[in-house]
Amino acid sequence: MTKSQSPDTSTDPLPGQPPTRPLRFGTKWRFEKRLHVGWKSEAVVLVVAILVAVGISGLLIMASGAGVWDSYKALLQGAVGSRRSILESLVQATPLIFTGLAAAVAFRAKVWNIGGEGQFFAGAMGAWWIADAAGNTLPQFLMLPLIVVFGAMAGALWAGIAGFLKARYGTNEIIVTVMMNFIILYILSWLLSGPWQAPEEFYFQTVKMPESTWMPTLFADGRLHWGFVLAIIAAIVVYILERKTPLGFEIRGLGINAVAARFKGISVARTTIVVMLISGALAGMAGMVEVSAIHHRLQLDISIGYGFIGIIIALIGRLHPAGVVATAFAFGALVNGATFMQITTGTPAPLVDVIQGLVLITVLIGAVVVQYRIRRLSHDG
Amino acid sequence: MMDDIFTHAFAIAVLAAAIRIATPLIFGAIGELVAESSGILNLSIEGTMTVGAFAGFAITGETGSLWLGVAGAVFAGGLMGAIMAFMCATVKVDQIVAGLALNLFGGGLSFFLFRTVFSDQASTGMRNVGVFKVPHFWGLSDIPWVGEIVFSQQWLTYVAFLSVPLVWLFLYKTRYGLELRSVGHNPSACDMRGISVPQKQYFATIFGGMMAGLGGGFLTLSTTGLWFPELISGRGWIALAIVIFGNWRVTWILAGAVFFGFLDGLQLSLQAVGFALPYQLLLALPFVLTVVALVVNRSRSNVPLSLAIPYRRGQR
Repeated sequence: MTKSQSPDTSTDPLPGQPPTRPLRFGTKWRFEKRLHVGWKSEAVVLVVAILVAVGISGLLIMASGAGVWDSYKALLQGAVGSRRSILESLVQATPLIFTGLAAAVAFRAKVWNIGGEGQFFAGAMGAWWIADAAGNTLPQFLMLPLIVVFGAMAGALWAGIAGFLKARYGTNEIIVTVMMNFIILYILSWLLSGPWQAPEEFYFQTVKMPESTWMPTLFADGRLHWGFVLAIIAAIVVYILERKTPLGFEIRGLGINAVAARFKGISVARTTIVVMLISGALAGMAGMVEVSAIHHRLQLDISIGYGFIGIIIALIGRLHPAGVVATAFAFGALVNGATFMQITTGTPAPLVDVIQGLVLITVLIGAVVVQYRIRRLSHDG
Repeated sequence: MMDDIFTHAFAIAVLAAAIRIATPLIFGAIGELVAESSGILNLSIEGTMTVGAFAGFAITGETGSLWLGVAGAVFAGGLMGAIMAFMCATVKVDQIVAGLALNLFGGGLSFFLFRTVFSDQASTGMRNVGVFKVPHFWGLSDIPWVGEIVFSQQWLTYVAFLSVPLVWLFLYKTRYGLELRSVGHNPSACDMRGISVPQKQYFATIFGGMMAGLGGGFLTLSTTGLWFPELISGRGWIALAIVIFGNWRVTWILAGAVFFGFLDGLQLSLQAVGFALPYQLLLALPFVLTVVALVVNRSRSNVPLSLAIPYRRGQR
């Protein structure tokens, strides 16, 4: 953006107003904040961020003694190298789309729901409970929607507690949702150690759900299931909700300026709770699909940290549903490819966590850096 | 079974365990208190403890020296703190997100390096690098009750408990501590007074990281001798909870850490004597109490007023 298009308030202050001082960089250069960051700059940031993350991870692979090129090739091959691996990557991406959307919806309203992990478990518990309670009595065409609804409701309920506490008492939702993550895990651990434990079972797990309640697969080969379709529908619904409905207007208004939103007649408390409910329902559906399509029973290790990774996905996807879906697929592919990489080249699979963490760190830093430009001063300003 | 519970041995075991279990929580929580006092909400304690524990494990494993391992844990924790400080005090990205990213990064990096460096030992079972011997204080350790509870602890436990009054002195009785707390409350006023906001935040966050690293190192080098990915198992998050539970006051944080340690010690001992108790409920109690404390203390909260708000000069 050229100077003629954007009157630069930092160099031309209005008369009588103190200038906002830009950061000095010597005397001839200075950092200035851009008024507008175009999508091209954002794309450049993303590409550079990925390159930096891949580069640093490459150094780690070198340090581990494996071949960098071979490892990355195996990672890609395992992720998207064949029809089979692409389908499996989509399986891995499915819960991530849900938890990514959950975080994106909440963050759009500047409601910091860090409890996706707990809501994931709540959703898994809701889905398993109804499948176990009614699975043998109700027909499949009734059972499957019921499981989806119960998973979503359980997640929404668990998130709603934090939303209520914030709306009613002004408690910090970050802290509350983090605490709720642990509380639900201990509740589940207790349920699995007795009330819900499969009879004659040594491990902490429930019985399998009746087969009629399993989420059906999409194709004869592979594990890709209808949960993926549900996730894509959820992304579209979230998009429409945010852009085309009055509620979406309120959500965005709350995120941009809560005080102004209140003057506009938006109930901050009500919108906060509604946002938390929607966010929790989405995270709960992630747990629901993992239980009803993949594990078919409750265990303590059904999540690889989907709730937390969802937050990272939401941020890399710039809180946009399409961005979330794309990032979730990339992350799912990484998780899927990592196993293949570890088997064929010996490069440890946790490398993927490092890459994901690094991409977020570099994207975050890049997103700030790109807001500034360095300008040379024609005279000593 | 009840006879097993109402005995001296049981009480001593629970209380000694409370102090032992409180140790990493104190390291983490006191470090986090200093970081939060400067306005940096560091959510990466869990990851920092993981990294610290791994550094302690790896360095002790390679050199055979436990104290070098401790130094490595502190250094690695400090590095994590430095990355956090760079992101939050220099680049000024969102602190919550930065913390979560570092958790993922730290956990993944430790696990990756563990697999890389110690992959040859994977087949022969987990490698144990050994732990510190419990020091014996002549006379003191033989006192009934007190000797067994207080004077039969690890060296690092004494360091943790000693750090509490020292950090209190630093925060409340030194000029630097006062300035650091001021930065957490009103950075723009500090800036105008010529106090460097980033400098204080770097100091506080790196110190917090070093303490968290030490807490992780304690778990490896004073209790298990092992490292595995789930070693920390939420202790970093409990430390975060303790700071809130303690309402950002040093004494209450100490009390919170010991109380949470007591709950954990109690459930361990009850399980050991075969008492059928849903021990998960005792373990969940710290998190429930923290939420309750947050609601109850809301009108007299000591939270640093600029916590988690990045300070940019000339902007509000």
